[in-house]
Amino acid sequence: MKELQIVSQEQEVQDSNDAREASIGGGAEAVVSQVADGGASIANPAASQATAPTENRDTAKDPAMTVIKQVPNLPQKVAIRDLNFFYGDSLALKNINLPLYANKVTSFIGPSGCGKSTLLRVLNRMYDLYPKQRAEGEVLLDGHNILKPDQDLNLLRARVGMVFQKPTPFPMSIYDNIAFGIRLYEKVNKAELDERVETALKGAALWGEVKDQLKASGLSLSGGQQQRLCIARTVAIHPEVILLDEPCSALDPISTAKIEELIDELKANYTIAIVTHNMQQAARVSEYTAFMYLGELIEFGNTAHMFTAPEQKRTQNYITGRFG
Amino acid sequence: MSEHIVKSYDKELESLGQKIAEMGGIAEKMLSDAMDALADFDTRLAQATINSDPRLDLLQREIEEQAILTIARRQPMAMDLREIIATIRISNDLERIGDLAKNIAKRAIKVSTDVRIPRAIIGLKSMHDSAAILLKDVLDAYAQRDAERARGVWVYDADLDALEDSIFRDLLTFMMEDPRNISFCAHLLFCSKNIERIGDHSTNIAETVVYLVTGETLPISRPKGRNMLSDSTTTTV
Repeated sequence: MKELQIVSQEQEVQDSNDAREASIGGGAEAVVSQVADGGASIANPAASQATAPTENRDTAKDPAMTVIKQVPNLPQKVAIRDLNFFYGDSLALKNINLPLYANKVTSFIGPSGCGKSTLLRVLNRMYDLYPKQRAEGEVLLDGHNILKPDQDLNLLRARVGMVFQKPTPFPMSIYDNIAFGIRLYEKVNKAELDERVETALKGAALWGEVKDQLKASGLSLSGGQQQRLCIARTVAIHPEVILLDEPCSALDPISTAKIEELIDELKANYTIAIVTHNMQQAARVSEYTAFMYLGELIEFGNTAHMFTAPEQKRTQNYITGRFG
Repeated sequence: MSEHIVKSYDKELESLGQKIAEMGGIAEKMLSDAMDALADFDTRLAQATINSDPRLDLLQREIEEQAILTIARRQPMAMDLREIIATIRISNDLERIGDLAKNIAKRAIKVSTDVRIPRAIIGLKSMHDSAAILLKDVLDAYAQRDAERARGVWVYDADLDALEDSIFRDLLTFMMEDPRNISFCAHLLFCSKNIERIGDHSTNIAETVVYLVTGETLPISRPKGRNMLSDSTTTTV
């Protein structure tokens, strides 16, 4: 069985096997990936300078480190490496190393204030809107570090779309809600625009409900419809990655189910990251799950594994409702 | 394991565990009583064994209902999910063990008027003893959440298979010696089969305990002992 290990560059240098060459030569994808030899693979950012992967394995149960287990060798759309994030002087994310696999859904779970949303906000540099917030480390989108100062933020946010916890339709018609973003990034004629709006609304499973009232205000829709409108708006400009920050927390079960169904359909074309407080939702919609606590990534792995037999005590305690 | 934030959740899980413990106690007693009834031709004890089976069935049903309710109410995850799945599976196995012991008790009533072959009973008794140890070990492993102990049981069952094999040969010999033995020995054949099945259910429980504790499933094929039942049939007959 091939497993993948997230390693820091120091480890990469130490480890002179074929996998290293593959990962270095990989360029755009899987730059930080390395094929390990069948045992449980551990990423230990803190100790990575000093220890080789084989030694890491012996300390798998050490609560101080991140367990990354049973992770396949898949193309990584986004690779987060040694990421630290600061709100002013306070460190909100501590040395995060994490992949987002292409066309997979990755969920972030953890108690309030653990840094899930912060991490999501780093992925499209939403934090740049605020002074005193800064990120260190690397976030590689197709191998390109988006944290560099010269990164075009508008372009980045077109490639990495985001949907927020509360539906945020613009105070304009349903049609314009979708068309707004398209007009911003592209020059399209009316017929094309109509088609793009229709496709986006269909993609967000909203078309059937609103096709006769496209001129109505986006705010006139129900909460669930508004949220799907926001997803449609995100999808309309053809992003590559979609970030969902608790998209269903204010929705009823039916709307939630529709959004979950939508996520399932969207992943064929997009890479999706979702923050959720609903553990069952994480278990339902995602292939990979990251558990975060107090700004650290505690455990990352296959969702099925995480929710039936997590490696870490803290993960277990959290998902079974033993501490909050 | 620390407690849940919601205390009634702990109580639900605790109650499930207690019911399994009670089922385990009943099943163990049924097995040993059934064997004693058979060995001593004690029809009263046999009947008492049969009478205790409904309680086991009831407990199994209660566990199942309670487990389903807990799943619906709590959406258990990880350890808790495994715990609940384990109680469902173990209660099924214990219920079956009870049925098999009851069957032995019924045969004890039937054979009590027949010819008696003490030598045949001795073999069966030692097989029973092995099965009883197996069952006790596995129930202890469950109570203590001891995966290593459960793994031990899982391997140990091979011995029981070998014992059944030798009893089978003995009984065939008795039957060939004197056709009047056939009825009695046929009953004992079924009894030995029942005990062997009890061993199988015990290993099922062992597998469940390993899963419960570690989250890992044991390989499908168990290590085999000297179980050559099919060969011995052809050579002996």
